[in-house]
Amino acid sequence: MSVIELESVSKRYETGGEVVDALDCVDFAAARGEMVTVIGPSGSGKSTMLNMIGLLDTPTDGRVRLDRQDVTDCTADELTEQRRSTIGFVFQDFHLLPMLSATENVELPSMWDTSVDRRERAETLLRRVGLGDRLEHTPDELSGGQRQRVAIARSLINEPDILLADEPTGNLDQETGRTILEELTRLKTDEDVAIVSVTHDEQMLEYADRVVRIVDGVIE
Amino acid sequence: MRVSSLFRRVPSVLMAWRNLGRSRVRTALATLGIVIGVVAIASLGMAGAALQQQATADLEGIANEVQITVGEDNDAGGIEPEDVDDIRSLSTGAEVVPEQSNHTTLASRDGQEMPVSVTGVTEANVLYDGADGELPDRLRSGALLTDETADQLGLEPGDPIEFDGQLYRLEGLIETEQGFRFVNNELVLPPEALSSQTAYDTVTVVADDGDEAQQIASAINERFNEPDDEQLRVESFADTQDELDSFMTTLNLALLGIGSISLIVASVAILNVMLMSTIERRGEIGVLRAVGIRRGEVLRTILIEALLIGVLGGLLGALCSLAVGLLIFRLLVGDAMAVFGWASLQYLVYGFAFAVVASVLSGLYPAWKAANDRPVDALRG
Repeated sequence: MSVIELESVSKRYETGGEVVDALDCVDFAAARGEMVTVIGPSGSGKSTMLNMIGLLDTPTDGRVRLDRQDVTDCTADELTEQRRSTIGFVFQDFHLLPMLSATENVELPSMWDTSVDRRERAETLLRRVGLGDRLEHTPDELSGGQRQRVAIARSLINEPDILLADEPTGNLDQETGRTILEELTRLKTDEDVAIVSVTHDEQMLEYADRVVRIVDGVIE
Repeated sequence: MRVSSLFRRVPSVLMAWRNLGRSRVRTALATLGIVIGVVAIASLGMAGAALQQQATADLEGIANEVQITVGEDNDAGGIEPEDVDDIRSLSTGAEVVPEQSNHTTLASRDGQEMPVSVTGVTEANVLYDGADGELPDRLRSGALLTDETADQLGLEPGDPIEFDGQLYRLEGLIETEQGFRFVNNELVLPPEALSSQTAYDTVTVVADDGDEAQQIASAINERFNEPDDEQLRVESFADTQDELDSFMTTLNLALLGIGSISLIVASVAILNVMLMSTIERRGEIGVLRAVGIRRGEVLRTILIEALLIGVLGGLLGALCSLAVGLLIFRLLVGDAMAVFGWASLQYLVYGFAFAVVASVLSGLYPAWKAANDRPVDALRG
């Protein structure tokens, strides 16, 4: 069963008096326990599509459904709540906060929710990604691969249904990239999440359950 | 770590504190701006308070006096004994001291001459302070002289003084006073010494306090004067006190106004610092928003950063101002410890409050801007 669905989603931008179709009538769906990799040349609309799935941007046309619930017309604040509870993000350049420790970075999405103490879960997640001895280290004390593991642990803190990864291996060497991909593959079944990733990395295709190719805003 | 675990309960404070720690030099400079602003406001305010305190101290002791002299429409050329009786009946509970005055020249043993004003009064102890010890209750046959005059002429208590062909023994010395009430080069004799003058030149009424003095002054005014006919000139020093107070209030406001300009400059610096820092952290704030941190939570965090700068700068500024205040009071009032009174310490509170309010106001726009940036735009950096 699909946890996220895009139905005839289009996104048009107007730049310099010219209308650009970043996405043109895209249909897409992903289910829990599945890793879908989106590939395509630069400017093909991959990132725009990921922004739609991640509820960071709203479509010009079409519907977005999260767990069968139509979220297309939600307000900015409602979308924030949905992201907090349902979606985890992993970025190409990790985007960890430099002044927080690894554990605090993992806790970040739930930090303001003082009713639950997520510290234990954060530590468990860090141990699971092999960083049990780096709990109090700050990002500048960690290697690139370790930072991305922290980011992956962070994306899982709120027990999301979907994990979105934007070029997760883009800033890592091939070997480290491979370990990250293995980690993600393990997590998709352990945590029962749908993983949607956007990549240029050929080796990522080996780990994907499904590959979606997008060119000029259209899925081929 | 312990501080962190305390902060965990208030995540916005934790984040704000860590963010400020990231660029210490910038935070320190913004704080310094606030410290300077607070010191400017508080020390100018305290300087005003010190001036006021000094002026009030100068006036103290005569604010309860009413001085009556001959009015401009008075043909008699003096205050008649009947008028003095009338004044007495209007001044129940207060002391009424009529004085006669004249001029003469006193000579020292070595021939040095000095002009002095002569006052004929019985209750000299009401009007004057003794230079060393109490003055006699009633002046019957002796004379009193201001201490500086006596010093210059080489006269000492017990020495004879001649006036109008009569000899008087110097009974005591009067303290020479500067300031609002000027007592200098004055010879005080019993009224009989000036018996050739029947009328009095000055009548001083000494009441219990300034309010009573003012009531007596208006009663005497009503009794003797018409709007276009001034028989007696009635002056109450309580008026002077009021005028001084109102002048001091204006002066203080002007000083505070000047001080606040520097704090406004400091808050513009904070605005700049906060704006720069949120622009630099745009991508980071985008991540916060992407992972589900609410707009209000981002807004609060940035406002708390500004608040912390304000509180830190305000506290340091208040401490520095206290040191400046001690110095000001030492120099203007002569007693550094006199700064520990609400009249002057209130400016530390104002300075601190102004710092906090100005900082938070400066943080509003950057915080609002950062919180309302669309995460998809912010993530692009």
